[in-house]
Amino acid sequence: MSTRARAVRWGVPAAAVLVVAGAIGAGPVIAAVQGDPQLPDLTAEQLLTEVTAKWSGPGDLPPMSGTIVETASLGIPGLPAAPVGTSPLALLSGSHELKVWYGSADRFRIAIPGAMSEQNVIYNNGQTWWWDSAANTATKIKLPTDAPAPGPLPTAVTPPDAARQALAMAETDTAISVGNDATVAGRAAYELVLAPKAAESLVRDVRLAIDGETLVPLRVQIFAKGAAEPAFEVGFDSITFAEPAAENFTFTPPPGAKVTEGDLPAFTRQQPQMPAGDVAVTGNGWTSVVTLPFDAAALKDSPILAAAKPVEGGRVITTKLVSALLTDDGRLLAGAVTPETLEKAAG
Amino acid sequence: MSTHERTAPPREEGVRAAASRDGHGAGTVAPAEVSDRFGGHLAGSPFAAAPRRATLRSTLRLFRSEVGLIFRRPRTVAMLVVVAVVPVLCGIAIRVFGGDGEALLTQVAGNGLALAFVAFSFMVPLILPLVVAVVAGDAIAGEAGLGTLRYLLTAPAGRTRLLGVKFAGMAVFALVTCLVIMVAGLVTGLVLFPVGPVTLLSGTTVPLAEGLLRIGLIALYVTLGMIALGTLALAVSVFTDTSIGAIVTTVVLVLVSQILTLIPQLDAVSPYLLPSWFQRFDGALREPLATGEMGQGVLAFAAYIAIFGSVAWARFTSRDVTS
Repeated sequence: MSTRARAVRWGVPAAAVLVVAGAIGAGPVIAAVQGDPQLPDLTAEQLLTEVTAKWSGPGDLPPMSGTIVETASLGIPGLPAAPVGTSPLALLSGSHELKVWYGSADRFRIAIPGAMSEQNVIYNNGQTWWWDSAANTATKIKLPTDAPAPGPLPTAVTPPDAARQALAMAETDTAISVGNDATVAGRAAYELVLAPKAAESLVRDVRLAIDGETLVPLRVQIFAKGAAEPAFEVGFDSITFAEPAAENFTFTPPPGAKVTEGDLPAFTRQQPQMPAGDVAVTGNGWTSVVTLPFDAAALKDSPILAAAKPVEGGRVITTKLVSALLTDDGRLLAGAVTPETLEKAAG
Repeated sequence: MSTHERTAPPREEGVRAAASRDGHGAGTVAPAEVSDRFGGHLAGSPFAAAPRRATLRSTLRLFRSEVGLIFRRPRTVAMLVVVAVVPVLCGIAIRVFGGDGEALLTQVAGNGLALAFVAFSFMVPLILPLVVAVVAGDAIAGEAGLGTLRYLLTAPAGRTRLLGVKFAGMAVFALVTCLVIMVAGLVTGLVLFPVGPVTLLSGTTVPLAEGLLRIGLIALYVTLGMIALGTLALAVSVFTDTSIGAIVTTVVLVLVSQILTLIPQLDAVSPYLLPSWFQRFDGALREPLATGEMGQGVLAFAAYIAIFGSVAWARFTSRDVTS
């Protein structure tokens, strides 16, 4: 066989590699070629008005289902790059997926898929079930009777709630603008950019992507100063605005499962153990600094403390978004500000 | 018929090897086997009356002979027995010692159908790839090592067709292996445990028939993954004359990729590694059916089949066969 014929034959696998590489790389290229979606121009004020008008009330999300992906790269020293599990700490790094089915304010389901396991919260007309396939337990959640019904999506990391929280922060210390229209989960979205005015803030801006059609917040990104990639991002990876199948909202404990009644499991309720004592907040808005008494001995074996940098009067832990100062006199100061600001606040 | 004379091996050794490999007595050439494997190609030669139909027929005959060859080998039978025994042992162990808190195993105790699923998740990381690599790695290199490859090629069958038949034989073996696991798991589950509606990972209970369908879907997914791995082994097999080399290379590649998937810093690499997709079939057990990840897995398998299939083809059709 001639060299030429041989070369031609080897062209086939080369072409196969190119096709596969092309298929992998096609997504970003197509997105780049298509460019930003074109939505009617709105000023920041118009957009804010529309959004607040829509969401200031109880907020009626249209029926929908989708996948939410949360990605955090806060740069906390000592945390493994991809911790497993669903502990609150695990949410601080790596990427996590959440599936939601939303029928109305009193019918929704959230699923947290794991490897060969799944956790589910199913809320249907005042009845809440928590299903954990790994533990094979179905828990009927008792909601405190005097508490108001849970919000549409009772977790702090869904886009609508996060958007509300961010909007609440939009006060005089924030520069609000409308960025380039973005494409999130395949939908054209307005991007509302909230940038702190204070120079000592570690946050460059918070970007909310708001669906151009339904005004549903689709994504929240927090950018640290000097970083091209968001330090924290939560948003829809895919979303369908259609009534989800009714089976999603009915739950019958499967035979063989342990059925219990109880509070929400630790996963959603667990708060960091707050040390007793006076908690003081100095500053306001983006540059708030929280001061609380703290015993450094509690963190003795933690890798986080090992990564702390000694400064005058204490030790400083810096991450992309948050700084913390452990003073030698037993206080913890933390905030989304530069370490120098913390030292100043510590006095 | 002149085939026999024309392809008569120059070395006595080669004849014996060829014959004994087919399960016949050492030292004797089996005329039936030889004419079965070579005669068909002659029928497909341009001198035949209806070339295309004859080509198809001869390809089919070659394929049948290849499948027969694979499944008549004692080692194939032994591997299939081992593969069938693992779910049985799993079932007996769970029956005797209980699930011991492990949710997946507890589910088996509640429903025998889950045993097939457990069997797959146990065997997909290592045993299945090993078994498939043994057959696929042997496909070309085995013939070359025994000296039979050039006799296969003297018939005007075309190397492409021979490679296609080897690929198809490997694919059939992968499918049969997965079906054996599934059936062994289901039968053991049926005998040892109660069987009824199936509880999915999402906590939903589906009827028995749907549960069976979902396990069938998993079997198909795993089969496709194993065919992708087999294609890789086939490609390695084309480059060497020693089948053990091709088999070991494939198994080592599987092991190395699995170690790489365990290193969190290399998360960005793992989607490109074939074994990281083998176990992504749990979407079949969610409600509604989570097709996203399995779909990506199928695409990854298809990419591997396309790339390594074409590499095998380019090498096989352009190399000088001397053994």
